[in-house]
Amino acid sequence: MTNPYEVLGVAPTASSADVQKAYRKLAKKLHPDLNPGDKTAEEKFKEVAGAYDLLSDSEKRKRFDNGEIDASGVERPQQHFYRDFATSDHAQPYTNNSGYADFMDADDALAELLRRSERARANRRGQDLHYHLPIEFVESITGANKRLTLPDGGTLDVTIPPGLVDGQTLRLRGKGAPGAGTGGPGDALIEIEVLPDRRFTREGDDISLEVPISLSEAVLGGRIRVPTPTGDVTMTVPKGSNTGTTMRLKGKGAPRRGGGYGDQFVKLKVVLPKTPDPELEAFVANWGTGKTFDPREDSAS
Amino acid sequence: MIMNKQEFLTCTGLEGQTLDLWLEQRWLIPDQTFGGMNFSDVDLARARLIRDLKTGFGVNDEGIDVILHLMDQFHGLRRALDQLHKDL
Repeated sequence: MTNPYEVLGVAPTASSADVQKAYRKLAKKLHPDLNPGDKTAEEKFKEVAGAYDLLSDSEKRKRFDNGEIDASGVERPQQHFYRDFATSDHAQPYTNNSGYADFMDADDALAELLRRSERARANRRGQDLHYHLPIEFVESITGANKRLTLPDGGTLDVTIPPGLVDGQTLRLRGKGAPGAGTGGPGDALIEIEVLPDRRFTREGDDISLEVPISLSEAVLGGRIRVPTPTGDVTMTVPKGSNTGTTMRLKGKGAPRRGGGYGDQFVKLKVVLPKTPDPELEAFVANWGTGKTFDPREDSAS
Repeated sequence: MIMNKQEFLTCTGLEGQTLDLWLEQRWLIPDQTFGGMNFSDVDLARARLIRDLKTGFGVNDEGIDVILHLMDQFHGLRRALDQLHKDL
């Protein structure tokens, strides 16, 4: 990189005001957005901007004067200028045709060509619109019908198919921004957020759930009601179940992509009565095995 | 790359108030969506240009209005010219 003083055309003794003046004079002429057709302008502008970057910062200028950093040590990272996008479809909201609208009224070949390209642009497909829709966990498993309220006050009915996962995007064809002329509307893209559930967690097609059971249900077994995303079911807890015992409800998981359903895993958790129970205390005090059984036996090192 | 308003502020280093003003002036026209505004690379590059004009060159707001208006017309012309070039 060349000497920044030379680039800006100022003396090394120039004041910061002079540096700024020199920069503005050059930059106004060279800014790529003011010279969209001139490739060399960008190069020159970067050089000028880099030089100004260095010299306008008194700290950097001092270090450069002292030879601590070279001129390229402060080169700007790759930057995209507006002109790189200005004629692309993405810059559509900004384009303005008033600069040649009058030419199109004439009755000659040029006017015809202009009108034709104007029509081509006029018949552009509408933009895709992006939306975000949070749904309950249960809705993600069973599917649901939701209604989105749009910023313009309109509504959009969305059918959530069963088995969606967090972050999945639904495409509603033709529900985006209206197109121009015969271009047809764009699509609505709806990103689904599955809200976490207090009870259920999902792993692949399977659902896990922790269910508290009483001490008597654990010891003696019994039938308990267990929630699933599709409603409660009755399940048999075998005799001698323990905290951590996991049971499988076949086909009560999320819908599989290729058909069928995953499973729901029910993890049992033994819970004692909230208030101390004298009868239970008395029983455990007289319970022989209770004194000899050491659940930490295996893990003791 | 699509950014929300907060990400756009971080990326451009603009103050929220300044951005609101630019949006009000319609110097920037991001996509409006259900969740708020979506800023694209185009908007980012345009914001940088406005910043260059304002802080780099010392152009005042009225001047920027004029420059952007002329620039948009100019790019409209370039676009038409480009299309013509392809049609011929």
